[in-house]
Amino acid sequence: MIRAEGVTKVFGKNAGSAIPLLEQGKTKDEIQAETGHIVGVKDANFELEPGEVFCIMGLSGSGKSTLIRCVNRLIDPTAGRIFFKDRENGEREITAMNDAELRELRKHDMSMVFQHFALFPHRTVLANTIYGLEIQHRNAEESQQVGRKVLDMVGLGGWEDAYPHELSGGMQQRVGLARALATEAKVLLMDEPFSALDPLIKVNMQRELTRIQKELDRTILFITHDLDEAMRIGNHIAIMDAGEVVQIGNPEDILVNPKTEYVANFVEHADPTGVLTAGTIVLPFDDTQFERVAENGELVYYVRRSHPEGFRFGIDRKRRLQAVVRPGHHESVEIAPLVQIAEHAAEIARTGRRDDIALRCDAQTVLRTVLKGRSCSTVPTVVTDADGRLRGIIDEPELIHGILEKRGHREHAEATAADEKPSAGGAG
Amino acid sequence: MSELLDFLRLLFTDPFGLFDIPMREWVSDAVGWIVSNFRDFFRSHVSPPVRGVMETFQWALSSVPPLIFLALLYIIAWRAASWRVAVFAVIAFALIGFMGVWDQMIVTLSLIATGVFFCILIGLPVGILCSRSDWFYAVVRPILDIMQTTPPFVYLIPAVMLFSIGNVPGLVATIIFAMPPMIRMTNLGIRQVDNDYIEAAIAFGSTPLQILTKVQIPLALPTIMAGINQTIMLSLSMVVIAAIIGAGGLGLEVYAGLERLNIGQAFVGGIAIVLLAMVLDRITQGLGEKGPASRAKD
Repeated sequence: MIRAEGVTKVFGKNAGSAIPLLEQGKTKDEIQAETGHIVGVKDANFELEPGEVFCIMGLSGSGKSTLIRCVNRLIDPTAGRIFFKDRENGEREITAMNDAELRELRKHDMSMVFQHFALFPHRTVLANTIYGLEIQHRNAEESQQVGRKVLDMVGLGGWEDAYPHELSGGMQQRVGLARALATEAKVLLMDEPFSALDPLIKVNMQRELTRIQKELDRTILFITHDLDEAMRIGNHIAIMDAGEVVQIGNPEDILVNPKTEYVANFVEHADPTGVLTAGTIVLPFDDTQFERVAENGELVYYVRRSHPEGFRFGIDRKRRLQAVVRPGHHESVEIAPLVQIAEHAAEIARTGRRDDIALRCDAQTVLRTVLKGRSCSTVPTVVTDADGRLRGIIDEPELIHGILEKRGHREHAEATAADEKPSAGGAG
Repeated sequence: MSELLDFLRLLFTDPFGLFDIPMREWVSDAVGWIVSNFRDFFRSHVSPPVRGVMETFQWALSSVPPLIFLALLYIIAWRAASWRVAVFAVIAFALIGFMGVWDQMIVTLSLIATGVFFCILIGLPVGILCSRSDWFYAVVRPILDIMQTTPPFVYLIPAVMLFSIGNVPGLVATIIFAMPPMIRMTNLGIRQVDNDYIEAAIAFGSTPLQILTKVQIPLALPTIMAGINQTIMLSLSMVVIAAIIGAGGLGLEVYAGLERLNIGQAFVGGIAIVLLAMVLDRITQGLGEKGPASRAKD
């Protein structure tokens, strides 16, 4: 949908002169000391797939706001190219567009949501929402219908005639979102849209954004300084440090394998329960971890090597899980899908955790859901694939390890960084 | 040798006597040249529209019966400002009427309306241009300084030479004197619009003209209204001075009273001007504060 190649932005009167210095490998600080130019973004490369939420995450001053403004050319990049691809027009180069072409792009293909809302104070909520349609000279009545529909969608039905100053921050940003949705642009650029909101409202807005994004099938480029936010809503995350994109990956990748110490520092304080999946924390079902203990007709029973007296897991010839047997028993406990139980976790937990039900989930289930299920049952959770084959189990050690240890910590990051240095030097 | 000594002596005792800038002659010659070459142009192309607008205002204002005038005034002041201002306005205008200078007040009001009309007509676009180009503003700024600080008496005479006496030269002088705040405040108001709003307008594909008309001017409106308010106040003070060259109305009342040492007559004219100024000020201030754009301050 959007592809950026080597996007670089240098601020200063003779910005172009800094490009050769960057190519020589000089750092942001060196260039600033030598020429007085400030490097905002250095050689950023990334690509957005249609329909995904792509987060750019970094601290203030890392160049993320500059980068998003390069995409719709509110800021012109000093070097590099950005492409926009859609079904109707194929691939077009945004960085080669003239003013008129840019206006068409901004009207129809890309809209934007701002950190401080930037709602026009002299216009009502409805008039703000349909601003994008108004400047396209669309029929006023139809525009208003679209506006009302979008406002309903963001939960602001009935507020059409209010003015922005009469609304709370969260509501104002809903108007900002409605304004961006009204033009039916396929790409939404969101520059820290929820940073100015209270934490509780923020989480609500994230949830609603995810819902609306799926409902309307929009592609979103989302800027944030909050890793938890990026992990909650992003399909991919690019992490920026001092103008450079230091790592791109899906949330779990970044959590488990941070490439630099900078990323590792963030990851250390992130909440892993919504990101880590059962597939990552599972104790894999193989000979090093499990021991065959018995055979009973169709089924072969295994126990965990570290708990030979514990639960026995019975699989059939196709490795499909058929039985989970408690120590001292002969009959299998009930095996139920974890998602069903997790929905009623609160009720079940009140009557006491059950010891007669094993919960089954797939590798994609996130840690938080697994934990919810485990709050209802003391039996190890079993992870199976689509055909019911046993992938492994998750018991308390795996849960604790998952929460505390599974994210890349500093020692690990340093080792990785040290490993990569020679190869990076060789490539450069 | 003695010549050099003379020169040095002069340099210390009377340095400015060494060289003379004949500014007086230049200005006189320039004005004379303009008058002899452009008088017909000014009288045939500048006078008629100014006089036309002035007479239209005067006709419209004087054809309203005083009672209806007061009722309309009440409604306008109430909608623009508040009922307090409306009551005050009606009382003030009634006083003017009872003091016997209603007709003169109508003339003065028409003069002000004409002056303000042209100030907005010229000042608003010039102010907008100033806000969009630093270079243009750098050129306009000293001209505004000259327009505002030159004593009005200085350009009353050339105005008379160009337009002869009457309301028109008075109006031209008024327009020159009262326009600078209009230009300055328009420029300031537009430049003060928060860049966030401009960025949002651009991000949705607005053209520069759409940004100007849908975002910048509406948001600058409270400041522009303050400029109009100042323009009105300056026109009012100038209208009195313009009486010297034959402009009518309350200014003439004051001027004639002073000339004949009729203190009472001059005083009545003066009080009427003060009342008129207060009413116009409160109403235009109310407009600026109540307008939709003032919500920007919340």
